[in-house]
Amino acid sequence: MFGPVVRAVEDEELIRRVAEGDERALSELYDRYSRPVYATGIRVLGDASLAEELVQDAFMSVWRAAGSFDPGRASFTTWLYRITRNRAVDLNRRRQVRPFSAGEEPLRNVSGGPEPEGGVDGWDVASALARIPEEHREVLILAYFEGLSQREISRRTGVPLGTIKSRTTAALERLHRSLVNPAAEESRHV
Amino acid sequence: MSEDRFEEFLGPYLLGELSVEEERELERHLEGCSGCRGELARARQTHDLLRELAAGGPPPPELRDHVLARAGGEGAARSRGRWRLWVPAAVLLVVAVLGAGLLWTITADSPDGIPLTATVPASEGGGEISGEVEGGNLHIELVVWDLPELRKDEYYELWYAKEDGGRISCGTFRAQQGGQTTVNLTAPASAVSYQEIEVTREPDDGAPGSSGEKVLIGDLRSL
Repeated sequence: MFGPVVRAVEDEELIRRVAEGDERALSELYDRYSRPVYATGIRVLGDASLAEELVQDAFMSVWRAAGSFDPGRASFTTWLYRITRNRAVDLNRRRQVRPFSAGEEPLRNVSGGPEPEGGVDGWDVASALARIPEEHREVLILAYFEGLSQREISRRTGVPLGTIKSRTTAALERLHRSLVNPAAEESRHV
Repeated sequence: MSEDRFEEFLGPYLLGELSVEEERELERHLEGCSGCRGELARARQTHDLLRELAAGGPPPPELRDHVLARAGGEGAARSRGRWRLWVPAAVLLVVAVLGAGLLWTITADSPDGIPLTATVPASEGGGEISGEVEGGNLHIELVVWDLPELRKDEYYELWYAKEDGGRISCGTFRAQQGGQTTVNLTAPASAVSYQEIEVTREPDDGAPGSSGEKVLIGDLRSL
């Protein structure tokens, strides 16, 4: 889920606030990353209820272990992806204690994620979305995740339709740059 | 249409949002403009990635409320621990009500709630649980008594569990010694399809999964 757009704050700042007990910061991180965590759960566990459990476990780990996050060692997305992967393995191990029931599949290959060898996937897109300017992020979220037409986005935001159309194109370009060169996009954003 | 105008239309073009006339005009332009074709190829890559991420769908909306409520409950418990106050009961969770939900009670045939049976480590203890579904959430009232004394770095956790190993945490609590404790917790409404209820004793080690050390169990299959 990508909720209502708020001021773009970097993930690392949000996790610092989470470590101080800020639930709104946790909620913002959830909005940014619950989709890729859930998608990872569906992909590797092949079961919606286990994927939900994975989302729950991953974000509770973020809440409980935020103080141990070290931005010098990894980006937030890499850290969250590792938590997600480890929890998926735990969930699968627990499931394997008993025989598989009909139609149930064992753990699939845990690949992807924000690792250099993983290629671009949902994790990278979620992370890149958090780095681009708010007006660009907003138009993409409304178009792709909420399924609004350009005219509906115009009505929702009060921005003229022509501007929404050109902004959508500009936002795709900006997101592309953010995916290709995250560091440059971050420094531009600061 | 100017060159700049064509470029601006690439996003709406990918989303199928151009008029037939605009689309035709843009496609004619693309045939003769390698620059715009390159722009379109880049935009299409990003468009496809967004589509892919969107296609998986979001997790159920009530899960967000549940995670945040659970974190809030633990945050409150953490604060109490910091100030070394002994608060015997209640983690109160306030959850947004999504729409005018259907009322359902797991205790429809059992006005006194579902009894929870003590396991060997908590042989003196007991409990009772009742709840109702409102919107996307299951609001739970848990009453426990005479549970084993916890160490400072432990807490109790309530779970809805499935026979196949799936489980949903409904939150954590501590219990009063030598008396009765009432706790209000919340879970996603989907928990009503689970067959068992467990209260486990958990170490505060940051691991969100269940320790497996059950102190109370309840059976929902007969409902």
